[in-house]
Amino acid sequence: MTDFRADHHRLLLEAIIQPTSLTGYSNPQWELLLRLARRVKLLGYLAARLEKEELLDRIPVRAANLLRSALIQARKQQQSVGWELNRVMWALDDPDLPIIVLKGMAYLLQDLPNAAGRIFADLDLLVPKESLARIEASLLKKGWQHHALTDYDERYYREWSHEIPALVHPERGVEVDVHHTLSSPLGKLNIDPLLFREAAVKAKDTAVYVLSPEDMVLHCAVNLFQNNELADDLRHLLDFNEMLLFFSDQQPDFQQKLIGRANQLGLGNPLFYSLYFSRVLLRSPISVHLEKQLDQQPGWIARRAMHHCVPLALLPQHPDHPSRKTKCARVWLYWRSHWLRMPLYRLLPHLAYKFYLSVFPGKAKTSKQK
Amino acid sequence: MIVGQLSRDTFRALLVGSGLRVKAGPFNLSIRTRLPYLADQLHRMYAHYALMDEAEIAEFHVQVISKRSIRRPFAQLIQFEVDGRSPFPPVPAEQALATLEWGINLAIAMRINHLLLFHSAAVERNGHVLLLPAWPGSGKTTLCTALIHRGYRLFSDEFGLMDPQSGNFFPLPRLMPLKNQSIKVIRDYLPEAVLGPEIPGTLKGTVAHVRPPQESIERSDESAKARWIVFPKWSANASLQLEPLPQSEAFLLLASNAVNYEVLGETAFDAVTSLVRNCECRKLVYSGFDSALAALDELTDD
Repeated sequence: MTDFRADHHRLLLEAIIQPTSLTGYSNPQWELLLRLARRVKLLGYLAARLEKEELLDRIPVRAANLLRSALIQARKQQQSVGWELNRVMWALDDPDLPIIVLKGMAYLLQDLPNAAGRIFADLDLLVPKESLARIEASLLKKGWQHHALTDYDERYYREWSHEIPALVHPERGVEVDVHHTLSSPLGKLNIDPLLFREAAVKAKDTAVYVLSPEDMVLHCAVNLFQNNELADDLRHLLDFNEMLLFFSDQQPDFQQKLIGRANQLGLGNPLFYSLYFSRVLLRSPISVHLEKQLDQQPGWIARRAMHHCVPLALLPQHPDHPSRKTKCARVWLYWRSHWLRMPLYRLLPHLAYKFYLSVFPGKAKTSKQK
Repeated sequence: MIVGQLSRDTFRALLVGSGLRVKAGPFNLSIRTRLPYLADQLHRMYAHYALMDEAEIAEFHVQVISKRSIRRPFAQLIQFEVDGRSPFPPVPAEQALATLEWGINLAIAMRINHLLLFHSAAVERNGHVLLLPAWPGSGKTTLCTALIHRGYRLFSDEFGLMDPQSGNFFPLPRLMPLKNQSIKVIRDYLPEAVLGPEIPGTLKGTVAHVRPPQESIERSDESAKARWIVFPKWSANASLQLEPLPQSEAFLLLASNAVNYEVLGETAFDAVTSLVRNCECRKLVYSGFDSALAALDELTDD
């Protein structure tokens, strides 16, 4: 029996799956729910759903105030990231350069249901690797700056990462993450970004592109089960599930196309887990036969281990009664995510260095400040 | 039930156990700590606070925990946590009270957007709020302390909480941190003020907190509209000036002073516009309390 049946997990999942049930929550249930939802960055999500159902006036005032506060904040961040995209396009000033917007901002551009109230602070872009240097130079010239980085971090980004160090315009403070591929180049998944770029589609009413619906859903799955450490990451599973259901509604053959695309790109494993946990945690009405069509599927042992550990990581700890079991699950998934991203001879020195820094934070050598 | 009616042991047991749940103006706080000296300080400084209604929701859950450092194994350190997150690095244990108070303020500033938050002291006289926005070197806390011991009701020394729709201000009477020289100034001028321990070595120097008067806490459900906005500035040996401030200038000062002005966007613009239009705006330069208080009394007389 896994811990996701713990009372506080059920409280949160019920609120997400069935927001209308929130009108029946008692004050103590609300108090716990608000803390849990804040921890996994879903206050804005809940607020947007309650607002849409016109239920914000039918819940306790203190809860409504916190939810409204989170929604106001989320909308401001969405506006800021949208404006940042506008400024980046102005700075690059090159209509022939294909810029693909990823993640939160892409969901917003396409007006997807999961964008409502979604909290995100960064602008993520995918560009051709050969244009990276030119784009970075243009942005630096127009006032964006890198954070002060240690020599180690600088090297980590440049040689081993799928993105360059974040760029920030000091007047606005929004992080711009420029990616040249969708997962670490050292990792166990060999992703060819060209296939994603070729399938990209024009975003609504703008000059930029977004990934095709199948690729957007797959990218979300890759982020969850390949790039991230899964701790408190429930919202990305929600993204996955809501997009999957939205696109399935629009295109009757969407799920078949998704499976075909995953097989073509060799992304069976992350898609398998995303479908599996959407069904287990979010009661997603996806057929159990769907993931059986994937060419790649995790083995029996991995599946059992993930079945027990992933819910403990995705769902938040009880704020007053953290469990040791959950901590172990999260540590294991942290190792797993690094193991997937780097070969062992890189991973061990990397984690050793990170541990050293956590004990002696002052020791990092900072490269020259820009 | 107020904190002062609890025995020291009951009070400590709450802090160690399920949390001390107190009402702070429009918010409810749950505070936990195992530090006995912090418990004793809070027992005295929070004496007038009402325990919140148990059936209500607490918005903020904070705790102060002791912390070990691998690098400094013998140092007594503490850390502030809000919902399990630590916004500040660990600090020496004697700064626990100051860190708790700043931490709660930070949590309010980070989370609350249904109200407009001015970085401002606010007091009430004759049924209306006098807003004293911070202006670098203004000494708003010091002036605010003097006012609340001379007939004004404390709303807050830190946050002017305004409902952007109705224009109502809400009291949030909390401990007021006097800094450095202000501590002695207030001890001399107001011997009746109840001060907490002097806490040296914080980011802002030495700090000592003023306990809010009982009446201000008891009446913390009574909101009011603002009628006067005074930008104070303390200047050594200056002669008193209380001059009108053009509305346009007051608008700009207030807009840049509100903590969440940008987050609220158009709502904040409309709220500050109507606030400035409905208030008398002044600029105050003062060096001594007597003349400043007399001038503010005259301004706020019925």
